[in-house]
Amino acid sequence: MLQSMLRGKGLIWGYAGLIILFLLPLILPRFYIYIVSIILLTGLLATSLNLVLGYGGIFQFHHAVFYGVGAYATALMLTRTGLSPWISFIVGPIVSAALGLIMGMICIRLSKLYFAMLQISLGSLVWIIVYRWYSFTGGDDGIHGIPLPEILSSPNGAYYFTLIITLICFLIMYKIVKSPFGSALQGIRDNPVRSEMIGINVKRHQLLALIIAGFFAGVAGFLFVVVDTTVFPDMLFWTLSLEICIMCLLGGWFSFFGPMLGAAIIIVLRTFVSTFTSYWTLVLGILMMFVIFFLPNGVLGYVEEKLHKGLIEPVIKE
Amino acid sequence: MDFIYTIFPPKVLSQVFVGLSRTTILFIVSSGLSLILGVLRIPNVAHGSLYMIGAFMAFTISKVFGGGDIGFWLALIGAPLGVALVSLIAERGVFQFLYEREHLMLLLLTFAFSLVFGDLVKIVWGAEYKSVPVPQVFQGFVNLFGGLPFPLYNLFLLIVGPIVAVVLWLIVNKTKIGKIARAAAVDREMVGAVGINVSWVFAIVFVIGCLLAGLGGALVAPTVSVTLGMDHTLIIEAFLIVIMGGLGNIWGALLGALIFGLSQSLGILIWSQFGIVFPYAAVIVVLLFRPTGLLKSTW
Amino acid sequence: MLEVKSISKSFDGFKAVNNANLEVEKGEIVAVIGPNGAGKTTLFNLITGILKPDNGKVFFKGEDITGLHPYQVCRKRISRSFQIVNVFQRLTVFENVQVSVLSRQKKTWNLFTPSTKLVIKETNEILESVGLIKKKNRTTALLSHGDRKVLEIAMALGGNPEFLILDEPTAGMAPEETARCIELIKHLSEKLGLTILFCEHDMEIVFGIANRIMVMVRGATIVQGGCDEVRCNQAVQDAYLGRSDVCLM
Repeated sequence: MLQSMLRGKGLIWGYAGLIILFLLPLILPRFYIYIVSIILLTGLLATSLNLVLGYGGIFQFHHAVFYGVGAYATALMLTRTGLSPWISFIVGPIVSAALGLIMGMICIRLSKLYFAMLQISLGSLVWIIVYRWYSFTGGDDGIHGIPLPEILSSPNGAYYFTLIITLICFLIMYKIVKSPFGSALQGIRDNPVRSEMIGINVKRHQLLALIIAGFFAGVAGFLFVVVDTTVFPDMLFWTLSLEICIMCLLGGWFSFFGPMLGAAIIIVLRTFVSTFTSYWTLVLGILMMFVIFFLPNGVLGYVEEKLHKGLIEPVIKE
Repeated sequence: MDFIYTIFPPKVLSQVFVGLSRTTILFIVSSGLSLILGVLRIPNVAHGSLYMIGAFMAFTISKVFGGGDIGFWLALIGAPLGVALVSLIAERGVFQFLYEREHLMLLLLTFAFSLVFGDLVKIVWGAEYKSVPVPQVFQGFVNLFGGLPFPLYNLFLLIVGPIVAVVLWLIVNKTKIGKIARAAAVDREMVGAVGINVSWVFAIVFVIGCLLAGLGGALVAPTVSVTLGMDHTLIIEAFLIVIMGGLGNIWGALLGALIFGLSQSLGILIWSQFGIVFPYAAVIVVLLFRPTGLLKSTW
Repeated sequence: MLEVKSISKSFDGFKAVNNANLEVEKGEIVAVIGPNGAGKTTLFNLITGILKPDNGKVFFKGEDITGLHPYQVCRKRISRSFQIVNVFQRLTVFENVQVSVLSRQKKTWNLFTPSTKLVIKETNEILESVGLIKKKNRTTALLSHGDRKVLEIAMALGGNPEFLILDEPTAGMAPEETARCIELIKHLSEKLGLTILFCEHDMEIVFGIANRIMVMVRGATIVQGGCDEVRCNQAVQDAYLGRSDVCLM
């Protein structure tokens, strides 16, 4: 399956990476396995955001809502219904996708910053409901100790499950990006008026992109439930949304693997920095400023620039 | 005066006044945000942090001067100026180099600032709750309409709000800086071409906007517990108000703040648990019918 | 084929297009000329649905297309290029045209077939016909201005149009690029039988390729007719040159 994504040396590295990922539980202690699982699912979340942000040019500033709603939907299904847990896992993403459709339909008429703000407004509304509705969502305590099927309750089980689901979602998203729909979406990002004029129904394409992004954010949400067995309202607070944006920016908007890399860098740094200072956000803020100043295309964007010097020029702003 | 009660029950009236004092704070903060958005086109997420810094500075100044009346008035002047200084440093040090970037980058940059400011506040003031005493003059209540108790301090807020609005209007419409700023909002290159140093005009506008955030923080300090995280919800509210009113429009910010403040305070009467939902719903309704805000935006 | 009936559009009280009329027959090349700010681009925007007219109608092949969205107009087989270069910056030349072809064939809802396997032949044919085939793998940001203007036309062709609107196709081009572009427009008209509506400042080009000319001044159409008719029309000279003692050219 990697052949379609990578070529030549990249393919070898890809396979090597995969093998390492599958062997990790044999080498690493439990805590690090947990961290790697979190990196995988956060990377999935960031990639799903990048589908609309980097490829679609839509200012989806409150993406965490779909992540949180997916997680809550799964958690509530698991704790409050007697249905098979595997059904709950499917319900989470579907609820997220439905929310993506509803919010998309309301917001899509507005452009750029207005879209972003209305989206943040709607997202905050969802957050408030989750936060205040004690009897249903557990309020700011969240839900703890969510029961999972036997096979997933060991750390390694959860890890392999997360790894496999993430890889599958990654492949699907990659296919979407490279499909005609993905091409149209990138055209819309670069120039919506032109896209309309070559016969693309811009709003509809954007709406579908929002639904897809919502769905995969929901997948990341239920994976969090699997890995952490908790949910809490901060999962849909707006600051998390901007942190995901930062991951995309840090890794590189315009490359498919950028957001995953960005997520990995930020989570590794956070784990590392938090061990000797409680001022992690200060570090993150300063790091962000440096990235915006010196690496506006992100780490992968920078690497690509160096590799194909002369082939890819920085975008000319008109 | 009793006829008023026959139309509006006292409970509703008192909530209206609570909402109006909230409106004052929201207006002062969001008018600054709107100014920055309208002229500089920066969606300044750090605005909320500056509001928080304003409140903490007010706490320190008030405490240094013994927590009395003098301390309060000095805090009211000193805190906004302190915030203005912080913002001037940020603007000259970082923002001025990035005006040409896309909104998304600017927004993330200001978010980075808000993260940094958040931790700096934690380092300087610690994570405990702080409280600023209400000055002697404004302690106690007045009776509105002959029987409705209303805190004097809130009455003071109701007077400050319109004053700020008028002063701001005068600055924007009657001073040279304001005129240049308005012209720059429409066409930046033109203003640069006629030989005006746009960079400094922008700096001044940015500082005035941030000063308003600091003033909002200083004014709100005696009525709430000053604490970390007080910026998080406020900045979202301020953004929504600005969007609802029309980007860059000062009167739009006032109108938006009114709708937001009143729907919040009255919403609590209707449905206490989810009263906070109403202002958000109001924003959604407004944007559905007027996608670019209630009043004309400068964009 | 295309008929615009007393169409108007104003912005904040400024009448950009005021009661304009236009008729284009099948197979013709019609030029719209007029001083800067006469409303030519606005007129094109009104025809293609980017702007909604305040009043007036647009008919295409007898069908009322007033107020349709741009993508619906495009599906009626009307394509256009833009005055200010309006291509997809981050995509390659090939991809730019490919998106257009995919869109025409209604394949943009396809989520899982790789784009690299679709409509290769059609896209290459179009690139071949406009002479961009050698540069097909370049990012558009690296193209010369003239090549980007040609790419504009290629993208318009991707929609397989019957009616082509070109907004100042040669603006800013070097002389030899201009010559090539004129050849291209003639080729499109003669070989593919496209009906073409364009606006242009260079009178040499206008009189060289247009069958008929329409003159716009301050948003209104003042004259529509054959080249000779327009060339020596008194009103045109007054409006266009501000003097009436010389014939145009």
